[in-house]
Amino acid sequence: MNDSMKAAREIITSYSGRPLRIMEVCGTHTHEIFRLGLRRLLPEQIELISGPGCPVCVTAVGFIDEACWLALEKQCIICTFGDLIRVPGTDMSLAGARAKGAEVRPVYSPLDAVELAKQNPDRQVVFLAVGFETTTPAACLAAKQAREAGLTNFSLLTANKTMPNAYKALVGSADAFLYPGHVNAITGNAVCKEMCEKYGVSGVVAGFTAGELLTALAVTVRLLGEGKTPFFRNCYPRVVRDEGNPAAIALMHEVMEPCDSEWRGLGMIPQSGMKLRAEYAEYDARLKHQMPVITGKPNPACRCGDVLQGKIRPCECKVFGKVCTPMHPVGACMVSDEGACAAYYQYS
Amino acid sequence: MNEKTVTLAHGAGGSQTNELIDSVFKAHFANPLFTGDDAAVLPRPEGQIAASTDGFIVSPWKFNGGNIGKLSICGTVNDLSCMGAKPLYLTCAFVIEEGFPLDALEEIAAAMEKTAAEAGVRVVAGDTKVAGKGQCDGVFITTTGIGEIMPQAHTSGTLAKPGDAVIVTGDVGRHGCTILLARNDFGIESDVDSDCAPLWGTVQSLYSVTDEIHVIRDATRGGVGTVLYEIAGQSSVGITLDAASVPVDPRVKGVCGMLGLEPLYLACEGRLVIIAPQEHADAIVAELRRGRYSQNAAVIGRVTAENAGRVIMETEIGTQTVLPQPKGELLPRIC
Repeated sequence: MNDSMKAAREIITSYSGRPLRIMEVCGTHTHEIFRLGLRRLLPEQIELISGPGCPVCVTAVGFIDEACWLALEKQCIICTFGDLIRVPGTDMSLAGARAKGAEVRPVYSPLDAVELAKQNPDRQVVFLAVGFETTTPAACLAAKQAREAGLTNFSLLTANKTMPNAYKALVGSADAFLYPGHVNAITGNAVCKEMCEKYGVSGVVAGFTAGELLTALAVTVRLLGEGKTPFFRNCYPRVVRDEGNPAAIALMHEVMEPCDSEWRGLGMIPQSGMKLRAEYAEYDARLKHQMPVITGKPNPACRCGDVLQGKIRPCECKVFGKVCTPMHPVGACMVSDEGACAAYYQYS
Repeated sequence: MNEKTVTLAHGAGGSQTNELIDSVFKAHFANPLFTGDDAAVLPRPEGQIAASTDGFIVSPWKFNGGNIGKLSICGTVNDLSCMGAKPLYLTCAFVIEEGFPLDALEEIAAAMEKTAAEAGVRVVAGDTKVAGKGQCDGVFITTTGIGEIMPQAHTSGTLAKPGDAVIVTGDVGRHGCTILLARNDFGIESDVDSDCAPLWGTVQSLYSVTDEIHVIRDATRGGVGTVLYEIAGQSSVGITLDAASVPVDPRVKGVCGMLGLEPLYLACEGRLVIIAPQEHADAIVAELRRGRYSQNAAVIGRVTAENAGRVIMETEIGTQTVLPQPKGELLPRIC
């Protein structure tokens, strides 16, 4: 441990002020906080709560049902980020669909799905476009490349989400947010500054190494302790610039436009999603494959929604660790390594 | 380039079967004990006998650092070695998919010959079956081996004791990472190569330091993390790992960072986990570092009486946390 990490650790461990609730919004932060055993450093007045920043966790049940429908009814090749495969739908997960003969391929990038479509001209390939501002530009690029290549067998099933309106939906749930550094690297800091100035919500942009996380948390604890609220600080200047990544933002708005979006646990949040623009309708899997309206039914025993809003800790859910385990997940938060339930289960 | 392929006739037991056996297998496995009869007749070793069998279905059959042939020899040789047994004899059974290229089969057999020679083990019997197109993926190999246990060797997953040191013989996760990239599902390019190697020499070098070796395990499927959980369970002890001292190749670290994978859970095919009394640890590591396949050997942790059945990590911020239990399929996370 270097000196700056030791200093940050000291600020956190010696805190003795009023109780603080700090929400790490980002799923990668949740995972790192558990991996590092960071909670073990916290005095009892500081509570870290996990927010809705795992793209897999906030994806609605109906989206999985839609993907299974494309895979089984339309025999499409489904390309997806790996951790979506085991997320339960109403009747089955994509892993379940695969067992029934569906072709489901984990990919690292949406562009790999475009390549697969080129290699399989006789098959329809669908990429499951989930994720926040970090992954949406790549999905947009995939649609663009598919068009440039003249592909007619590639489409996107979109459930892309954007953070700003989710932050607003979470106002009041914590004393401060640890903002997701990867998202801010794309969007810039304007939204977070607005949260501070207009909504009085404090927050700090955090990076992902042990040192960066400790520093961001120490800054948050110190400023909250000193009562200098509301505040905004960028503790990830190595990567995040105020203006973000204008090229990525431009690409995103060229191909997609804002839409209302359903978040598991938070419900429908107006203008918190992204869908393909009319010019790209031929790459919209719902239109291309004439999908009927599919509404998912979440398992009523699962309290992922309350977990995602920081209302309960995973262990307060009745099925946690009993019926719902990483091998047999009931809710999405138990699937991804970035899900709060999976992290609680694995590290306790 | 030889365009010939394996056909169903090669597996029908007639002249074409003989041709395949003569031209590919006998050419590479020839030794005085290799049998043309129904069973090999072997001299009886003096010590106790260890026996092990393993099936190999790796896809793709060839990867950076080896192929399924090399792997099939290493796998069984290493399983025997982990019991302190000098590998003596192997049998191998092939299930070959119709249409598999003969020159690829030749390449696999050549790798098996080379690896067996290095490990000092003789292939004494074999079997070949041909499966119809689509009934298997390329080639499946099963090897069975017997070895002679050194009189001083007494190792088992149940023998780890509090106070012992936990040692790995090199960087972790290379084979799993290599195969993941060779499948080319993720569009990531890296020159990372498999650690696949026969380890009898490595085990012998341990016993040149001390006979007090409590556990030797090869960390294959499931990686070092899975092996540690198995040992912690079998011996009813805790294992505490120092995260910073686990050797990981920078290329593997990079790939794992991108895909959100834990190197401790990626397969190795040339790495041992060794548990031995703390007082011998430095000498064991020093000896291992002189060996061809164990130059990055390191002490990575210790066995404890507390936390029985669990593996605890000491993190870079000075906290302790549980190493998450291994899960099934490796699914890279989204971002």
